[in-house]
This record gives sequence, C-alpha cells and structure tokens, in this order.
Amino acid sequence: MTGALLSGTGITKSYGATPALRGIDVTVGEGEIVAITGPSGCGKSTLLHCLAGILRADEGSVVYREQDLSLWSEASRSRLRRTEFGVLFQFGQLVPELTAAENVALPLLLAGSGRRDAREAALGWLARFGVADMADKRPPAMSGGQQQRCAAARALVTGPRVIFADEPTGALDQLSGEQVMTAMVQAVREQGSAVVLVTHEAPVAAYADREIVLRDGAIDPSGIGIVG
Amino acid sequence: MRPGTLIRLSLAGNRTDRLRAGLTAASAALAAVALLAAATVAAIHGGDFDYRPDGRRVLAPGSGQYASALLVESGLRPGVIFALVMLALPVLALAGQCIRLGAPARDRRLAALRLGGATPGQTVVIAGAETAAASLLGSLAGFGVYLVLRVVLDRRDADGKLLLPTDVLPNPLILILALLLVPVLAGLIGLLLMRRVVITPLGVVRRLRDRGPQPWPGVLIVLGLVLFAPKTLQNLLHLTPRHWRLPEWLPLALMGAGVLCVMVGVVVGTGWISYTAGRLLRRYGRGPVSLLSGARLMADPWNGSRTIGALLAAVVFGAGTLGFRADLATDFAAQNRLGELTDPALGSAYDTGFYFGAIRLVLVAVTIALVVAAGGVLVALAEGIVARRRTYAAMTAGGVPRSKLGAMLLVVTLVPLLPALLLAR
Repeated sequence: MTGALLSGTGITKSYGATPALRGIDVTVGEGEIVAITGPSGCGKSTLLHCLAGILRADEGSVVYREQDLSLWSEASRSRLRRTEFGVLFQFGQLVPELTAAENVALPLLLAGSGRRDAREAALGWLARFGVADMADKRPPAMSGGQQQRCAAARALVTGPRVIFADEPTGALDQLSGEQVMTAMVQAVREQGSAVVLVTHEAPVAAYADREIVLRDGAIDPSGIGIVG
Repeated sequence: MRPGTLIRLSLAGNRTDRLRAGLTAASAALAAVALLAAATVAAIHGGDFDYRPDGRRVLAPGSGQYASALLVESGLRPGVIFALVMLALPVLALAGQCIRLGAPARDRRLAALRLGGATPGQTVVIAGAETAAASLLGSLAGFGVYLVLRVVLDRRDADGKLLLPTDVLPNPLILILALLLVPVLAGLIGLLLMRRVVITPLGVVRRLRDRGPQPWPGVLIVLGLVLFAPKTLQNLLHLTPRHWRLPEWLPLALMGAGVLCVMVGVVVGTGWISYTAGRLLRRYGRGPVSLLSGARLMADPWNGSRTIGALLAAVVFGAGTLGFRADLATDFAAQNRLGELTDPALGSAYDTGFYFGAIRLVLVAVTIALVVAAGGVLVALAEGIVARRRTYAAMTAGGVPRSKLGAMLLVVTLVPLLPALLLAR
C-alpha cells in the first residue's frame, strides 16, 4: 500500500432508528483491492455506498485525495463517480433500452464526449471483457454473466482511480463469477485502480489484498474473515 | 452532455415509453388546436358598437362576414376566447396524466443513468427533454390539424356568411407563442410531477406527503351550496321575502359564484374526497374488494387527481350551465307570457335563439371537456395497472381472482367521482 487514496473516519449511518454503521475507520491505498466481508445485514453495502459518495454518512468523514466528500454537493459527487470512481452492483445497473456499447459508453457521453470516441472506447473495453460480440445487443438479450461483464466494462471505461463493487458476482454462477472477477482484477491491476469489494463469497474475497470484516455495523476486532 | 446524447437518452425507451410519448403528443396536439382557435378568434377585427348622434347603434365594419353574433360582436368574442382557452385545461390535465404513464419504469431507467454517472440535474433534463420533445411534435401536429380544419370547415350559411373564422390567421408571433406554450407547459407539468421523486443511483425514492389531504376544500363546497340558496329559494319555494328588495341580478350572480366555489372545491379537494372515500370503504365495506380499494385510495389519494379534477370540474360546470339554461328558459317564458297578457298584438317579443345558441356552444365545449377528461381518467387507470402490474401478478399468483382485482380497479376509479356527481345533481 502506498498511502491512503480514500479514507473513512468515524463513519456512522442509521436508517431511522436502526443503526447500520457505528463509527467505522477504513483506508484504501492506491491500487489496493480491499474486500469488505461479513454476514448479511452487517452494513457492508452501506459502508461501500458511503465511501462512494452515494450515501452521506450521518457522522464522520470520507476523504478522497485530501478532499472531504461529505462537504460536496450531490451533483459534484455524481461527477466524481463519473470521472474518478467506477461503480459495479449486483443488479439493475444497465439501462435496458440502450445497447451494451451505449451502456458502456454512457459515462463518457454524460461527460460530454463525442459518440464516435465514446463508442470506440466502449468497444475496446467490451473486447477486454470478452463480450465484443454483444456490443449491439440490449441487456435483456444477454445472459447474467454477459450483463455483468458489460457493467464491469462500464465501471472501468473512464479509467477510474477507485472501483466500488457491491456483490459483483452475487447473481452469477461460479464459472461466470470467476470470469468476471478475473477480467476485472486483471484490468484494474493494469490500470492501477483501487477496488473496494463487498462480498460474502470466499473465492471472490480471495482476489483482495486485504479483508475488512464487519459485524453489526462495526469492524470485527478479531479480523477473522471468510478467506482462510 | 452533448445534444445528440440528450436526444438519444431521452428517446431510449420501451413500448410503454413510446405510448406515453404518443399520448403526450396527442394531448399536446389537442391543446394546440384549442389555443390556435382562441388565437384565431382574437385575430378578428371590427364589431365594435358605434353610437351615432341620432342615438342609433351601428356595428363597426370588419366582422360582418360571420354568421354568429359571438364572432361578429367584439364584446362577445372575449367570452369565446376564454371558453376555448378553458377547453385547453382538461387537455393539459390529460397531458399531465399521460406524462405519468409508465413513469416507474422510466424512473428506474433514470436511476440506472444516475448509477452510470448522471447528475441529478442531468436526469431531470433527460426526463424533461422527452416530455418537451413529445409535446413539441404534438404541438406541430396540432398546427397541421388546425390548417386542415381551416380548409375543411370553411363553410357558409344560406346568406353567404362564414360559420367559423376561417378567413383570418393569427399574427405569426402569437401563432408561434401558442405553439410553444404547450411544450413549455407540458415540461413544467412534468417537472412538477417529479418534485416528489428523488432519483438516486440506488433507485427511486418517492417522498410521501407528511399529512393526508386536508378537508378545507369542503368549506368551499359548502359555501358554494349556500350561495345557491337564494336562487333556489326564489325559484322553487318562493320564499324570498318582498321587503328584502334584492337586486334582480343578485341571486343569479350568487348562483354563478356558487358553481365556481363548488367547482374549485371539488377540483382542489379531489385528494380529500378520495382519501375519505377510501376511509369509509375500509371502515364500512365488506369483502376483499372494498378492503383493497379502500387501502389503495388511502395510500395514494392523489392518483389520477389531475384528470378526475378536470372531469369533476366539467361535470359541475356543465350542471351549472344546464341550471342557468333552465333559469333563462323560465325567465323568457314568464316575460313572453307577461308580454302576451299586456300587449297581445306584440306576442312573444324575445328572440331567445342567440342566448340558447350561446349556451349550446358552451355545452358542446363542456361535452368535449368531459370526453377529454374521461380519456384522462382511463389513462390514469391504465397507468395504475402498469405501475402495479408486478403486485397484481403476485396477487393473482397468490390466488386473488382476476374478477376481484377488476372490481377493485373499478371501485378505485369510480368512487372518487361519486360525491361530485351528487353535488352536480
């Protein structure tokens, strides 16, 4: 690890009266892959959403490259996610009415790139993930694994510094899950991106450099995770 | 975001999105035709009364080519223009309902765009662009329909006078403004409808109102009914004491104000009417249909309120117009009878054709408004089904008979209309 690229300090978040996170401290270094693991309902996804600026923490701060994201507006955080972050979820991330190439090109198009340049970049990333032949297909015509590889390509198309992946293989069979993870890890290693990976699957967590275990909204001090 | 990207993202949609765009365009076309008709009537010149030194009243030239006094006399034309602009209101309400059609799926697509990096402002622009583009196309189509109607309806009566003002065109600037007004209003309605929708990368959140609908519009309805009282007492019961010395016009003016109060109360109180109807259904209804429909009405009393409001307004206004016509007919009959008794040679001196002709035109407008608003209620019904199709599918899978679901949808649609129909009666 070469210094903290992203850090969260004292992150606390509640949903109504239900506490989800209780003062979590976490750091992610440049190019580091960090897995957040723990049982269902322990706050893994909430922590990832707070770190990605999708949710605002009730207390504590999230600092990215010495900038406190909790002070940023929603629009500024959206722009940050489009340019510096990549987001990969389990479900519902591709726009069903757009083709695979358009979906991958979307962050570039929203940032103001021309259609031709954006499509070329998207086709390159689709090829790296082995789904170039799906470029003009819409998500409903693709398998779950193909959709997830498109979503991974979209998360990486802007050359982000940090990828946030929330159960990226949760809806896939083991083989498809391995293909997605292998392709993604290879791409982020080449690109030097950091990854914050939420998972409850040991084979997926094994791709990480470091594992953070959550229990009941706090970091488990025993540190005994799902990776042996 | 470049314009090309905006167009691509705003036009990306499924069958329901295309249906929504089509219906939005169709209602925009209707509204544009109504506004262009109003602008055409406004473009007629002449028809002012000139008073000669000998006391005679002469119409200024310029509008003598028309058969109807409503078009000839400059003093009557603002009423026609007002009626035509009013006709655009239920159509805009229909557009507002159409904009909601399939909105949950669109909102999910916008959430996916947010996850792809779109800012909140960009998603609003994308959603607004779809509505604005559809209504602009509709507005242009409405202009085409208007031009065709000018040719088709260019008819003359036996005296060679024009039945409609097909010989004048509005000022080009007014024409452009009328055509742009519809997309602008549709865009604003779209933004208004999205004011409680928060689109986040994690999905769509619909902010609920803190309080249920309040009963204060009921005060307006009661006030409206009270304002009817003098005319009702005078007409039906002959109870107005002679020493009150009410001006002749006062009961009629109060009745007009009463219609207005009831109309505004009913339109603004649609949510409260739905909520109260739902509460009564849950409390006193028996069986699953009343339980389900009562719960639905209470959970979302504002669903379809725009078009139901327009429908109720048309019903109340139509009832008021019919009441006025009956009153006018009674007055004319009484005055004719008096004339026959006092001066039998003169007989029936009152020409009632103009007044009843004008009322007939108002009733035609009310009928059109009723049809448009009823179409809006159907769209609201379809929107409700589309938005909850998964829930209904799950209920059907769980053993709820389709007939019960159908009955529930019927009750949810019709029950909020009943109180207003009783008021109109």
